[in-house]
Amino acid sequence: MAEFSGKIYGIDLGTTNSLIATMDGDHAGVLADPKTGASILPSVVAIAPDGEVHVGQDAIAVEPRLALKDDGQIHATGFAGGDLGVVVRSVKRYMGLGGNEIAPEDQARYTFVDLTGPVARFQVGQRAYTPSQISAEILRALKHRAEAALPGAKVERVVITVPAYFNDGQRQATKDAGRLAGLEVVRLVNEPTAASLAYGLEKLAEGRVAVYDFGGGTFDISILNVKGGVFEVLATNGDTHLGGDDIDAAIVNWLLADLPESIRNERHIWNSARRLAEDAKKKLSASDQTELILEVPPDLSICEKLTRAHLEEFAKPFIDRTLERCRLALQDAKLEPSHIDAVVLVGGSTRMPMVRREVQKMFGREPLCSLDPDEVVALGAAVQAGVLMGTRNDMLLLDVVPLSLGIETVGGVMERIIHRNTTIPTSVTENFTTAVDNQTHVDVHVLQGEREMAKDCRSLAQFKLGPMQPQPAGYPKIGVTFLIDANGILNVTARDERTGREHSVDVKPSYGLSDDEIEKMLEEAIDLGEQDLEERLLIVARTDAQQILAALRKQLADFGRLVGGDERMAIEELAGRLEEAEKGTDREQIAKLTEDLNTATTPFAERIMDAAIKQALEKKSVEELS
Amino acid sequence: MSSARVDVESRSWSERFAGAGGSTAYKSKLPEMIKCPSCARPQQPRLICDSCGSPLPVPSDLDCFSALGFPRKLSIDTGALERAYHELGRKIHPDRFASGTSTVRALSLSGTALLTRSYRTLRDPISRGLYWLELNGEKLAENNKGVPPELAETVFEVQEQLSDLRDASGDAVAELRSEIEHRREDAAATLEDLNAQLARNFSRWDASPNREDVGAKHTLVTELKAILSKIAYLRTLLRDIDRGLETLRAA
Repeated sequence: MAEFSGKIYGIDLGTTNSLIATMDGDHAGVLADPKTGASILPSVVAIAPDGEVHVGQDAIAVEPRLALKDDGQIHATGFAGGDLGVVVRSVKRYMGLGGNEIAPEDQARYTFVDLTGPVARFQVGQRAYTPSQISAEILRALKHRAEAALPGAKVERVVITVPAYFNDGQRQATKDAGRLAGLEVVRLVNEPTAASLAYGLEKLAEGRVAVYDFGGGTFDISILNVKGGVFEVLATNGDTHLGGDDIDAAIVNWLLADLPESIRNERHIWNSARRLAEDAKKKLSASDQTELILEVPPDLSICEKLTRAHLEEFAKPFIDRTLERCRLALQDAKLEPSHIDAVVLVGGSTRMPMVRREVQKMFGREPLCSLDPDEVVALGAAVQAGVLMGTRNDMLLLDVVPLSLGIETVGGVMERIIHRNTTIPTSVTENFTTAVDNQTHVDVHVLQGEREMAKDCRSLAQFKLGPMQPQPAGYPKIGVTFLIDANGILNVTARDERTGREHSVDVKPSYGLSDDEIEKMLEEAIDLGEQDLEERLLIVARTDAQQILAALRKQLADFGRLVGGDERMAIEELAGRLEEAEKGTDREQIAKLTEDLNTATTPFAERIMDAAIKQALEKKSVEELS
Repeated sequence: MSSARVDVESRSWSERFAGAGGSTAYKSKLPEMIKCPSCARPQQPRLICDSCGSPLPVPSDLDCFSALGFPRKLSIDTGALERAYHELGRKIHPDRFASGTSTVRALSLSGTALLTRSYRTLRDPISRGLYWLELNGEKLAENNKGVPPELAETVFEVQEQLSDLRDASGDAVAELRSEIEHRREDAAATLEDLNAQLARNFSRWDASPNREDVGAKHTLVTELKAILSKIAYLRTLLRDIDRGLETLRAA
């Protein structure tokens, strides 16, 4: 992709709200919408059935809900989902998830397609949108906002913040969103680390800082050592599905408890209740009691009082989970709460008095909250942008990888090769060899997580090493280097340790989008000719068919001698039928014939491989003689 | 022609190294000169070009001491080590090369990864000792599969007590706990003593006038292995005790 030079901006791509900030001299500031004066952009995206996109307040305006209309009656209004357009809130919760990882309650809220695929997609009419594409719309809106606020400025290079506990897939999905929005993502920065930059803690001579970041959808705790402008993260922990949203949902479930489930999950009703719950929660930060009133047509009226004490009962299990995560982080940092010199609060949920109280109790000191908890992450992103532009050479940020990285070994055991809380960038080289004689490939399965068994960890990627020349078992030695870059994203390279040759590694991510898919999305976005889902699938099927047919024609020409008469006839008959079908529009027929042809040609392909190996061996022995 | 010049310069490098370190040169192959890809200046293997400040390609055999610009000595002032790490980190970190070419960015990434790994290896005396064995072509695991005899009794007794503790109830719990807590204190004191022994072993390596003396080296290696092996067992023991007591508290 095109790389840009010039100013770098800082973006907080939050679950609930997103912001863009920049450095003005030595001072970081959030860029507000010049029309409305708002600095916060709600992370809400509406996609109309015709593909038109609204972001922020405009999207909230068309969210399905119950509203009082001009006729004095309450009506269901907004994009109701599916063919009627969709309004996606908290899209960050779905970043990097595979189709099979979508929770049942989320499936009640939105219509997903491809629930078995490597990436979850929201359905809107005949189209499907990945979480990265939807996040890209938020990024585009922020870009336009900044360009409107700073006439003449071009926003092309950005720092985007992510929860510290985001795994590789979630980070990659965030980077993809940037790419899809036409931005160069110069760096991903962890949100708590960014917040510590915003607080100007480099002025501390030396100190240990705990950053407690409780947002709308995610929770992070990071323990840092700050010394002479070096911000060194000692340990981080968190939960990427734990936030204020969960407290709102608990209130909604209580409010709607008497309704049958089918009505409770009805999108207009649920969304209206969610808005009431969020408002009530916010009000109860300042007052002791509030009232929630929900009118459901035709004649149902729900009215409940909510006290702060009652709210705290709802919040307690979630806050307890954050405190447990704090304990784990301290344990990993080998510190006691009393060793912490400063506690910083970040994220909207830290406005709740109960959160402040519990955090103060845990660390035994009053937390810092002088900066707006909604803005502090964006400000920190701008400071990091300053570091990257070379204007803050005094500062150095050393972050860590939040989750251990390992590979699957014999018996399905996860063998850790990079431990959690290792400073990044980091790299480890592991040697791989073969288990049986003449093995030509070695499969490597990369995992992320803290559990002992591979099946309990998250699959990151799989790749094949090879082809290798047939050799006795254990003889080949391939060094695979696992490098985690400063963004916390894994890169894999391999080298044949005996020949010194670089091996190409075709890493197939277990979740998320492939590079080709992103390129395709970019092309689609450029000509704005968004095909419908069926058409897209047909194109995929045709491409697959064309690829196998082209490969087959080449192999028959080059290695025709390796295929017998009957076999050749059977293959050619199938190929002829596929060629015919590929001109038509029956996607399933094309896919089936492609599969059949693939099966029929497998023995042929294996013979070609054998021949190639033999040839290579002969060539090698000739070289050795000369 | 160029290889001849490389030879001369690298010999002077090892001489300077010997002078700075106060002991004779370590027996290892002479480092080859590398050329800065950004300004083409030839120089000793290091992470950052001393002429233009660009990251240099890391030779695969660059050791942890050289990566941090420290002499190959085992006694290390960890404060100075941290300062060196931060100073080099500031210069080589990918944050410094966000607008650099892809080559420079890749070099900065691999250089930072090596710098961090070197710092982690040398910061902790145990991992530093293990690494030292590795540099000397030795390995702890090979000859130290069994529990060190001096510790065997303690280790087995504590494991038994911990197992008893899991099944115990009533007054027996308090009694066992107090016994185990005493054991923990003893183990912690032994560990402290071993750490002091390790520091003495490190000093002897550093003071050893001639590392070519095979006998002297063998003595130091054997002693280092014994100390490291005991420390490893004691650390495991202490961890098991802490876990056992933790479970008790949680229950």
